[in-house]
Amino acid sequence: MALEIKSGALVCLRDLQPSSPFFKQGASLRIIGKLNEYSLETGVATIIDGNDILKVSTEHLRDLTFQVGSVYQFIGELLIQPDNEGILQARVGRNVDGIDLNLYHQSLLLLRQFQADHLNNPAI
Amino acid sequence: MQKQVVTTLHDTHVKLLAFDLLSLKQSNSSSDPTFFYRRGIPLSRVETLGTVTLVDHKPNKFLRFAIDDATGCVPCILWLNHHSSPFLARRHPNPDHLRLIADAAARSAALVRIGAVARVRGRISSYKGALQVTVSDVVLERDPNAEMLHWLDCVYLARNCYNVLPAPPK
Repeated sequence: MALEIKSGALVCLRDLQPSSPFFKQGASLRIIGKLNEYSLETGVATIIDGNDILKVSTEHLRDLTFQVGSVYQFIGELLIQPDNEGILQARVGRNVDGIDLNLYHQSLLLLRQFQADHLNNPAI
Repeated sequence: MQKQVVTTLHDTHVKLLAFDLLSLKQSNSSSDPTFFYRRGIPLSRVETLGTVTLVDHKPNKFLRFAIDDATGCVPCILWLNHHSSPFLARRHPNPDHLRLIADAAARSAALVRIGAVARVRGRISSYKGALQVTVSDVVLERDPNAEMLHWLDCVYLARNCYNVLPAPPK
C-alpha cells in the first residue's frame, strides 16, 4: 500500500534553531509545547517550551479547541519564511494536557540513541 | 528453552517501532511467504502505536490508514469486505462467525480518524513490495503518555528480548 506521507521527526523546540539540521524548508516534524498565544483571526498558535518559541499555523486543523496554558502536540511541515523565521504548517494536532514532559524529553533522547544504535547494527 | 521462546514469537504481536518494522525482510521462500524476518527471527504479527495521519476509507471494501509513531509511518489496511469476499466466505463458512468478524472490523474502522492515537494489532503483510499491517484490531489511547510509553516498551523489548534471541537453525 503506497501511502505517501512523511513521518514527523521528533524534535524539541530548542532543536529548531536556524543552524539545526532539522531547520529545513518542508521538513516534517513532530513538536510539543505549551500554548502561549492563539489568534482566532489568523489561526496561528504560539507554543513555548522553556525559553524556546515556535509559531504553528492551525488553519488545516478541525475539531481542536485552543486554550492558553494547555499543552499541544503538532505534526506538520516547517515553512521557513523570508525573515528566516520558521512556522509549522500543522496537519495533525491534539491536546496532551497531563503529559509528563520530563519523561517525554528523556524518552526522546533514548529513542534517538536507540535509532542510532540500530543504524550501526541494523536488523538483518 | 530459548527455542521455545523463538517459536512463540511466530504468533506474538511483537512491539516494534515503525523504522524497525519497516526494515523487516520478507521471506524469499515460497513455502512461508507470510513470515518476515528481524535479525533472522521470523515474525508474523505486530503491534504498533501512534498518531493516525492519513485515512482512506472505501465503505464495505477497506480502510487504509497510516500510523506515525515518530520514527516512521506504518501503512495499515483494515478489510471491510466481509460480506462480498468469496475468500472470506470460504474461510469463515459459518455466517454468524463472519458477521461477528465484520462487526468487529466496522467498530475498529469507526475509531480511526486523523489525529487519534491508536494501538493497532495485526498481521505483517506486503502490497506491491511495501510492508503493511493487515489490521485485526484497533484501540484508541486516551492517555497523553501512551506514545512515549510505547517507545520505551519497544526499546526495552528490542534490547532485552528480540535482539538477544538466537536465530533458529536453517
